[in-house]
Amino acid sequence: MATEISKAKVLICDDSMMIRKKMKALLSDYGITELYEATNGREAVEKFVEVTPDITFMDIVMPEMTGVEALRMIKTSAPNAKIIMATSIGTEGNLSEAIKYGASDFLQKPVDEEQLRKLLDNYFKEA
Amino acid sequence: MFTQFFGSYLLNHKIISADNLKVAMEKKDSTRVKLGVLAINAGYMTAKQVDAVHRKQQTVDKRIGDIAVEMGYLTEAQVEELLSSQKTGCLLLGQALVDMGCLTNEEFEQVLSDYKKENNLTDKDFTADNNEKTASVISAFYNIEGEYAMYCSEYINILFKNLIRFVGDDFTPLANAELKSSDTVVKQNIAGDFSALTAISAGDEAAIVFASRYSEEELTENDAYTKDVISEFLNLSNGLYTVNISNSTGKELSLKPQEHITAAELTAAEAKLTLRIPVEFSFGVVIFTLAVL
Repeated sequence: MATEISKAKVLICDDSMMIRKKMKALLSDYGITELYEATNGREAVEKFVEVTPDITFMDIVMPEMTGVEALRMIKTSAPNAKIIMATSIGTEGNLSEAIKYGASDFLQKPVDEEQLRKLLDNYFKEA
Repeated sequence: MFTQFFGSYLLNHKIISADNLKVAMEKKDSTRVKLGVLAINAGYMTAKQVDAVHRKQQTVDKRIGDIAVEMGYLTEAQVEELLSSQKTGCLLLGQALVDMGCLTNEEFEQVLSDYKKENNLTDKDFTADNNEKTASVISAFYNIEGEYAMYCSEYINILFKNLIRFVGDDFTPLANAELKSSDTVVKQNIAGDFSALTAISAGDEAAIVFASRYSEEELTENDAYTKDVISEFLNLSNGLYTVNISNSTGKELSLKPQEHITAAELTAAEAKLTLRIPVEFSFGVVIFTLAVL
């Protein structure tokens, strides 16, 4: 895990072009340059293996494979992966399922900059 | 949200034209609600009394509130109360129409009182967000009843809140509108105890402005990105709906990925009940669909 936020590798998994663009812009403000994208759950799993990101933002409702399934698959092979569920569908059922499979955190969409800052601060204090 | 339905009421009762309503919807945010309109809404003064105070003001250099007190129409405490009350959308819209000369104070008084009566609203409802009253206004407008009434009226409630929050409050719900074969259509299914097909459809112009507002970007074409933005709005609004339903009823609904379909496919979709929810923004009409499966 990178110790400085600007050196972090981040994977953004979301089927929405707009969300990926906005997330990239927000994360670039932290000086993060190593940003990777996946547009569905299957791609998220493949990209994770390929780039081994420090942090992964994972949408839930995605084509081909849901974010929760992708989370489960990634955590099976990489139990220490830090995966943050970033979704608008933050129902209790979805959250408890995501927690069960090892999600590190939850970010309610639309993404609030302050919420994102707090979240990132947490990770890079821990490191 | 009463503002939007109040606009619709004015339109449906042919009290004002669609063009004037659009202008007033845009103007209302820069409008200051005057004491007269507030006093009419609170039932403290009649329109005739307000007009009399306004005529008097043209001859003396005094504030409206002071004149109304002098003429015995209001107490100082009432002036104080009115000035500190919340100036909600309905009153802003009414004031904008009065300022534009589309309504006289007297017409405004009449129409406001008719609207409140028809929807069982009090002047207090106009100054606070009352969920129960909103649900009943929605159910009455869309004629929603039966088994799925709660799910449907809550859907529209959340949808309109999201429109107001993320796109703009300058829209009016329309009683009906036709889907056009050339419309951009995106759909998303909701599954669980309440299964439904939801969709957004819009013509090119409306799609571009809708997406520009939601994404806070200047989009110029109805291309893949614009369609993606509209699709994401549907996903966001539906996501917040499922959270709301989960919180209020404990029922878990899930969402399927969005799909782009044609207007013909949307029209042909079989459902137990189909609600078309067209809204007219200043930039064009956007039609939402909620079809119970």
